[in-house]
Amino acid sequence: MASLNLQRNLLWIAVALAVWAALPFLVPRNIADLLVFTGIYTIAGLGIGLLLGHCGIVNLAQATFYGLGAYASAYCTVMMGWPSITGFLVGAVISMALAYVIGRPILRLTGYFLALGTLALSAIASALFFEWDWLTGGTLGIGGIPKLDLLGFVLDRPSRYYFFVWIVAFACMWAAHNLVDSRSGLMLRAMRDSSTAAAALSVDLQSLRTRVFVVCALFGSLAGSLFAHHVSFVSTQSFTVDRSITFLLIPVIGGATSIPGIVVGALFITFLPELLSKLGDVHQILFGLALVAVVVLMPDGLMGAWDRFRARLVARGGSDA
Amino acid sequence: MPDSAPLLALREIGHSFGGLSVLRSVTFDVPEGGIVGLIGPNGSGKTTLFNIISGYIHPLAGTIAYRGRSLARESIQKRGLTGLVRTFQTPQVFEKMTVLENIMVGCAKLTRTTMLQDLLRTPAARGQMREIYRRAEAACERFQLGGLRDLPAASLTAGQRRILEIARAVVGEPKLLLLDEPSSGLNAQEIDNLREWIVRLNEQGITVLLVSHDMGLMTVARTVHTLYFGEIIASGDMAAIQRDPKVREVYLGV
Repeated sequence: MASLNLQRNLLWIAVALAVWAALPFLVPRNIADLLVFTGIYTIAGLGIGLLLGHCGIVNLAQATFYGLGAYASAYCTVMMGWPSITGFLVGAVISMALAYVIGRPILRLTGYFLALGTLALSAIASALFFEWDWLTGGTLGIGGIPKLDLLGFVLDRPSRYYFFVWIVAFACMWAAHNLVDSRSGLMLRAMRDSSTAAAALSVDLQSLRTRVFVVCALFGSLAGSLFAHHVSFVSTQSFTVDRSITFLLIPVIGGATSIPGIVVGALFITFLPELLSKLGDVHQILFGLALVAVVVLMPDGLMGAWDRFRARLVARGGSDA
Repeated sequence: MPDSAPLLALREIGHSFGGLSVLRSVTFDVPEGGIVGLIGPNGSGKTTLFNIISGYIHPLAGTIAYRGRSLARESIQKRGLTGLVRTFQTPQVFEKMTVLENIMVGCAKLTRTTMLQDLLRTPAARGQMREIYRRAEAACERFQLGGLRDLPAASLTAGQRRILEIARAVVGEPKLLLLDEPSSGLNAQEIDNLREWIVRLNEQGITVLLVSHDMGLMTVARTVHTLYFGEIIASGDMAAIQRDPKVREVYLGV
């Protein structure tokens, strides 16, 4: 029975991999482009999902770290002429350091106050991105960011970049899965269920929350650097508070405790607005309605609803047999 | 044991909430290897004293020394790491986690991993997790929770939650176990089991400080202190306490 299940799972994984590998060649360029964005948003969303689903923290500052990653890549490659990898590293180090320094004080807050604290961070960062035009180019932005180049293989088309972005996304999903499954993950879940009891068992709430915030910032920065190399041009419009809210929607829609849910959430926010835009001016209202419908009808996201649906099917199958 | 230093020494502990004095000059020792009881009617300050010892509240007056060192600057977590572990009046189990996972949290503090090791699932991180699992599994059997190990803690009865909470505390290898009203919500049979557990854990070298207003359970304690409106009015073994005229007057109502 177990080997049958294993075989079936392996088959599913093989089919999914085949579809994943064939997809960019089967779809038009604009869809391949959206699939790249889905990968980038998955990475950014994973961090917020860890905070929301496992620490109960609403992070409205992800656009800040996304912006730091993007500007670091732009500045290092365009202004300094350094190799692309330096942009990724500089962005990651600055984002993680900022998350640590800001996180220690603001993560003492809880609930709405903490959400407002992260919102303030996003608003301040967004203003600084605009003001510090010597660094960010202000509203004019920084253009001409080179395409990534892997040992001479230039990732200059969406169908090529797709593979790179998604391999990074899978690696991040693997890391997030490891974290949830680890000793830290165990303590995170304990903290979410009862912080009072967790403290009595020597779980250091403050340090754990700060460290997850730092991991979230790392994912945000990585996504930002990938974004910069994809679009070749970064400007302040991409890193506003609006973007932070969009990122928060990813785990809210997909399901914060589920890693596949983050991919579902990322697909939702990239594809649905695009599909609805064919309907003309009403598309933003329709997108808003779809959001409200998901949040109201599926409080644990699309993935949570799917799990419940499957459980019901199994229960029905069981009672039939 | 009068010649050795006590494991826990409370000196002149005083506390008040908004001008209402809840503890006044509370002084007593918990000798290493002993079982010390603290009784008193509702509102006598027992839980406040527990919160002070475990670090949830900082006392306004007095000192606490644990193994000869002041606890004044130690956080709740630090106190736990040095072997001072408490349970709660209402059992605080992690409801969405299974029984086994609850116990795993209890022994997580015996191992160390960095978040990077956890993210990358390094051999060290996997080894630590296996160790936690092994200890928790053994504790599950020891506390006769084996049949419940994969159930979410939310589905347990009050008595099972109590045992789970104690198992979770004990698996972290405490030196001093603080039990806050462990018999509340339990039936007579469960209280008997609990008494046996306390004696057995004590025989294994765990010092116990027990708060309760259950006189029957208190018979396990070698020394009992009676708290009344924030003051200790009598100390001694249970028989002496039950004979004490002051205790009879204010606590037993006779």
